[in-house]
Amino acid sequence: MSGVPQHQYDPRRLFVFACPTLPFSKYKRSIGVYIAGGLFALAHWMFWDAAIVSAHAQPPPDAPYDTVPVHVTFLDWVTGICSTLGLLVVNLINKEHLLSGDGYGQDQAIVWRARLFLFIGFALMAGGLAGSVTILVLKYILQEFEDKYVYYGYANVVQNVALMLSAIVLWLAQHASTEYEYNLTL
Amino acid sequence: MAAGLKTVIFLSFVLAVGFLLIILSCALWANWLPLLVALTFVLAPLPNAIFSHCGADDFSDESVQPAAVDMGRFITAIVVVTGFALPLVLAHAGIIQPAACVMSIIGGSLVYGTILLYSVAFKQDSEEF
Repeated sequence: MSGVPQHQYDPRRLFVFACPTLPFSKYKRSIGVYIAGGLFALAHWMFWDAAIVSAHAQPPPDAPYDTVPVHVTFLDWVTGICSTLGLLVVNLINKEHLLSGDGYGQDQAIVWRARLFLFIGFALMAGGLAGSVTILVLKYILQEFEDKYVYYGYANVVQNVALMLSAIVLWLAQHASTEYEYNLTL
Repeated sequence: MAAGLKTVIFLSFVLAVGFLLIILSCALWANWLPLLVALTFVLAPLPNAIFSHCGADDFSDESVQPAAVDMGRFITAIVVVTGFALPLVLAHAGIIQPAACVMSIIGGSLVYGTILLYSVAFKQDSEEF
């Protein structure tokens, strides 16, 4: 993976067609950051919507003595917290520390530590996502509730997916160079 | 500056219509929660404005931006989406009426759009000189 960006006439380019550059390449970074912020808020509001509906859930008016079968509990919040922590960890890393340095002894330790935190961050996010799918299946789908209660589980999964997308979009927006094509090497 | 004057009058009219819609959405059903939407949209440009002054004024390279400017944009996007999401969530849970939700979203968008247009139309271009 060379650090030199590839132009259309570059003989090292692998494919026949070059990736077309978007006309707004100057604003790619800020548009990416805005989209990432929007996804972040969307994720959390999706989940808080399920939590608020759950808190206000009443038994159906034709059977007032039935109990509501399931509510959103702290267990549902854990996956969202986990994913948010993962997003914070991933995006607070300084990317220059991830590239291999010139081989100084001290730089190698920094590179190793940066990669460790990147791994921890992505592991937290993947764990949150997997946990939310687990909760959806075990707590909501297997018990065969009505659709409006299974919605709590789907909202939780959407929250974690959107958080992961937000982290990825923010990472790409901040670390893509503005002049050349996307350099997706880590 | 006749064009400027007409723009100011038009923008303030749209702003007034926006606030009217939000207040109506609260008053018609005697539920003052949608007023939070107005507050959110008014606060929305604030993070961007605060953090953009941490920008690199002395550098000539535009591609290098400090992380603080990104943070301001991120928080602004969060607040804007919150302004749209809050009435939807309240309407979904049945706390406010769906019509109140729609009215407050439209009113809030008008308020935020006015603020955006105002800042774009009357930007101080001191770098021209």
